[in-house]
This record gives sequence, C-alpha cells and structure tokens, in this order.
Amino acid sequence: MGELLFLALFVPILTGLLSMFQSKTTGLAIVNLSGSILTSSCLVAIVYKITVGGAFSYKMLYVDHLSAVLLCVLAVLTVTSMLFSLSYMGKELVNGHITIIMLRRYYGLLNVLIFTMTSVLIVGNLGLMWVAVEATTLASAFLVAFYFNHSALEAAWKYVMVCTVGICLALLGTTLLYYAQVSVVGSDFQALDWLALTKMSSQLDPAIVKLAFMFILIGYGTKVGLAPMHTWLPDAHSQAPSSISALLSGMVLSCAAYAIMRNLIVVQAVINHEFLEYLLIGFGVFSIAIAIPFILVQHDLKRLLAYSSVEHMGIVILGIGIGTPLAIYGALLHMINHAIAKSALFYMAGVITQEYQTKNIARIRGLVTTMPLVGTLFIIAILAITGTPPFGIFISEFIIITAAFASGRILLGAGVLLLLAGIFAGMVYYCLGMAFGTKPKYRASTVSIGRPALMAMVISVGLVIVTGLYVPTWLNDMLTMAASIVMGG
Amino acid sequence: MNILTILLLFTTLLLTRASELKTAVRIIRVQSLMLAMACTAVGMETGEVQIYVAAVLTIIIKAGFLPYVLLNIVNTLKHEREDHPILNISYSSLVACIAIVLSYGLIDQALPGAGSRDALATAVAMTLIGLLLIITRRQAVMQIMGMITMENGIYLVGLSVAKGFPLIIELGVFFDVLVAVMVLSILTSRLKLSGISTDTSILKKLKG
Repeated sequence: MGELLFLALFVPILTGLLSMFQSKTTGLAIVNLSGSILTSSCLVAIVYKITVGGAFSYKMLYVDHLSAVLLCVLAVLTVTSMLFSLSYMGKELVNGHITIIMLRRYYGLLNVLIFTMTSVLIVGNLGLMWVAVEATTLASAFLVAFYFNHSALEAAWKYVMVCTVGICLALLGTTLLYYAQVSVVGSDFQALDWLALTKMSSQLDPAIVKLAFMFILIGYGTKVGLAPMHTWLPDAHSQAPSSISALLSGMVLSCAAYAIMRNLIVVQAVINHEFLEYLLIGFGVFSIAIAIPFILVQHDLKRLLAYSSVEHMGIVILGIGIGTPLAIYGALLHMINHAIAKSALFYMAGVITQEYQTKNIARIRGLVTTMPLVGTLFIIAILAITGTPPFGIFISEFIIITAAFASGRILLGAGVLLLLAGIFAGMVYYCLGMAFGTKPKYRASTVSIGRPALMAMVISVGLVIVTGLYVPTWLNDMLTMAASIVMGG
Repeated sequence: MNILTILLLFTTLLLTRASELKTAVRIIRVQSLMLAMACTAVGMETGEVQIYVAAVLTIIIKAGFLPYVLLNIVNTLKHEREDHPILNISYSSLVACIAIVLSYGLIDQALPGAGSRDALATAVAMTLIGLLLIITRRQAVMQIMGMITMENGIYLVGLSVAKGFPLIIELGVFFDVLVAVMVLSILTSRLKLSGISTDTSILKKLKG
C-alpha cells in the first residue's frame, strides 16, 4: 500500500520528465496517455484498498475515506483531461497557435500539476498539505499564462499574486495551530500530523485555534474561490487552455476545499459550533449570491462557467457549514458531481471556442447544427450543472437543501433555492441561445471533433447521469464514512 | 534578538519609502540577512540543528539567489520606478506605523504571553506591511518585494512562537517561496518582453 502511494506520486513525475524528451506529437501522446492511465489505475487501486481495508498511513502519507472521495475524482479527471488535451492541443498545434516546444512544456507542467494535486490528497500532515496546495498554484501558473499574451499574463499575475497572498495567510494560520500544539506537547512530537492533532484537539487553546482557523479559512478559501476572495478565478479560468480550466475548476478548487475540511476536523472539537457554522454558511451563501449578477450579464463563455464554479464551491462550503452528516454527505457528493460536470463543460467550451474562434457568447450560435453531438452533450451538461433532475448535481443540491430544512434553517434553505433559481435562469438563457439560434453563414455545416476529446466528454456526461440515477453501494459507504470523518468520528 | 527585531522593523519601514526598484531589492536582501541572524540567535538559544539549516537556507535563497535574480530583472528595466504608487510614499510610511501599533494591540489581545512580545509584534507588522506594499504598489517588482516581506513576517511568527517548523515542512516552505518568486519573476520579464510596462496598473483588461 505504501508503495502504491509512492507509485501514484512517482508516475506523473516520470511521465512529465519523459514528455520533455519527446520531439513528435505521437510520442507525446503515447507517453502521456499511458502515464495518465497508469496514474489513474494507481489512484483507483488506492481507493479500492481504502474501501476494503480502511484508513492507511505510511510515514508522512495518510489516506482515509475522505481522501478516497477526492482521489476518485482525480482518477477520472486525470484520464479525461489527458484525452481531451490530445485532441485540443493537437488542434492548437495544427492551427499554429502553439509550437511543439510549447506543447512539450504543456504536458510537462500538466503532469507536475497532477503530481501536486495527488500529494495534497495523500499527505498526512497540515504543514506538508500547505506546501502541496501552494505547489498546485505554482504548477498551474504557467499553464494559465500558457499563451503569454497580454490577457494571459494578466490572469496569471493575478492568479499567483492573489493565491499566494491567500495561501500565506493559511501558512500563518497553520503556524498558529502548530504553536497551539507545541504549547501542549512540546516540539517535534508528530508536528502538525492531523491524527495526533485530532486526538489531542480538546487540549488545545481555544482562542489561538479560533484565530488560526480564521486565517486558514480565508487562506484556503482564496484558493477555493470563495467570495470575496474569488477575483482571480474567472480570469485564470478564462485564459488558461480549456483542459487546464477543467482541472482548475474540478480539482484544484476541490483540493483546497479538502484542505479546509482537514483543518475543520482538527479545530471543531475546540471552537464552538455556532461560530464555525456562521462563518462557513456566510462564506457559502455569499459566494452563491455574488455569482448571480456576473452570470446574468456575462458575455464570455468560459467566464460564465468560472462564475458557476464560484457558486458551486459556495454550495459545497454551505453544506459543510450546515454540519449535519446528511449535509456533509451532500457536500462531498456535490464535489464529485461538480468536478465531473464542470470539467465536461470546459472541454466542450474548448471545442466550441476553438471552432468559433471566439469566447463571446453572442457570437456562438447554432451549436446543434454545426456540431450535433457536442451541441447535444452541451445542453445535457448545462442542464446537469444548473441542478435539473435527473442528473447528479440535482441529487446533491437536493440533499444539502433538505439538510438545511431538516436542521431547522428554513430561511437559509428557501433563500438558497431562490438564488439557485436565478443562476438557473441565467445559465440556461445564455446556453440555449448558443445551442440553438441560427448558425453563422460562414460556418461549415458540420465539423469533425477529435475522437479522444469526444470520448472525454461522453465519459464525463455519462458519469453525471449515472450518479443522478444511482449511487453505487461502495460510493455510498465511502461517502457516509467520509462524512463521519469530517464530523470528527 | 531585540536589536535584530528593531533592525527588521527598520528595514521593513525603509521599504515603504523606496521608489527605486534596485534600492528595494537591496533592502530586501538586508532584511533577509537580519532574519537569518534572528534564526541563528534562536538556534543558539535552543541548540536545535534545524534552525541553523533554516538560517543557512535563508541566506542562500532569500538573501542570495532571489535578490540576484530580481536585480538582473531590474537591470533590464531602465525606466521603471515606483513613481506614482496608489498610496504615496509618506502616507504608506504613516500607515506602516499604524500597522505596528495595530500589531502590538493584536498580539496583546489574541496571543498574550506567547514567545517574546516584541518579536511577535514585529512579525505581525511585517506581514501587514508586506500586504500593504502588495496592495498599494503598481510596479510588479515592488509587489514581489511585498510578498517576500510578508513571507519573512510569517516565518518570524513561527520562529518566535514555536521556534520554527520541523525540518521537512521548513524545506517545503522554502522551496515554495523560491518557486513562487521565480514564477513571478518570469511573469515580470515576460511582461517586459511583450513590450508592455511592468506597471501592473495596466493589467485591467479582464473584467466582469
């Protein structure tokens, strides 16, 4: 098992290194596809072992059901994003937007990003987790700045600056938490190891832990894209290549949310619950609310999807804030569903912007006629992401809002429902306009889309439909266990 | 230790007055050297090896390599200086002084009796002033200076309350800082290369 964890870390690094030595696109494709499938199988094997044998720790690494939930998502996204990259970046190369050297750099950095995200999920120590979360920002910085034009540079600058400052605050919080630990047990005893911390959490000084958690929430919250620290998010998502937007939105945000949950497990024994609830629910609802005006008057397809990510991360944090086992179950399921559905949407946005050569919503018309399959999948994915039944996101939102009502927060539940209705209206209005409408005259009637990219989209959309209709027993058990871990059990 | 904290605070205040980019980088170099000496002082007090390692790393990375890279970039920017910061130089110094008072108030409120009061207040003040520089300076290089100051401040917090992190986390943090500044430096030189100025106030195309 320990070897498996190291293998999951080692394979992306090796793939990245090998990519740097390829001079042909086919070589790059073979190396990266096999690398991603191997990484993914390692992750699936880890998840399987966890479902069978429970939590596992090895040196500084630790995995349990909570990490398994996100490892599942990472396993899916690693493969789909790589499949999509093959077609998408291949076409960019053919169109002359990038050179083979840039392509090599792209695959190298992509693998480093996958490595850093894996390490966030399997380290067993709050300090190292901080290092890993910061590393995800740095690994993706040049992927956001990939085209090195004015807007990409602007987006990358904001991304690195805002996220690094945020994450510095998280480091301050982690330092304070370490201080709280040191003043109880002295230094060098399983420093910042979260199992040790959780065990002794009732002895920690509440005042310091409270201060520490505020910094940690603001810090990692910046990376999650919680309002009002979300300002980097639409820029970075809209400027990065679409495959990277998908990973940023689906996985990087979720990794930061995972970091918040890990810290929450430690601190909740000490801080009173009401304070935590107000804080988390406040951030959650504010993020949902702030996305609405930007979604309602949006002209850029990828920014529309980015603001939708702000909203969905708000829902996840809201679910965690409500704090009943049901709500946390819903929040975790929502994280899975959102990651898969949103990545599918970004893949489609990539294909669409590549074909129409614009991100401007008003100029994208008649998708169903120009690319029938992608157009149809696009409508399905939009309906899924806005929370229409029978898709997965409907189920998870339903669970979270049911939990809100069940815990007596009638106003909160009703308010969130209203906000979601507003977002539904905005998203569907713009996207149906894009899907139908009359196609521009200068467009060829149908266009061909690379097979791997289509496969990535079909897999993702298929999974969202499946989780809407039926949650398999192993996933259900895993989510239940993970929810009880977040509750401190 | 007390002299070192005073010097650290002094360099940080001085940084709010720098408008020449080269001067700012040199001030950061001195600040990082002070921090390394503070590390050594704590190391002599506790006798733990990892703090000496941190001190050496601080000298090599923060006082040696990063300023070297940044100076190289600054040398290619002939006409760039911080002429019109969002908050002018004198007001920034004033706000920095207020930040110092605030941080004394903050630590008396939140962390009474943790480590040495002056060192901790200095650390919090450095973090705040670093943030102030990031917010109010237009030049990319000055914002990087702000970030390093903030980072140094947080490091000093760790040093004064918990005598530094365990070695492996320490190494990770150093590595991240190194890479972060490198990434920002490369972005800065790319801004320069693409023919636009490194004045970040021109970065306002992406909205809504």
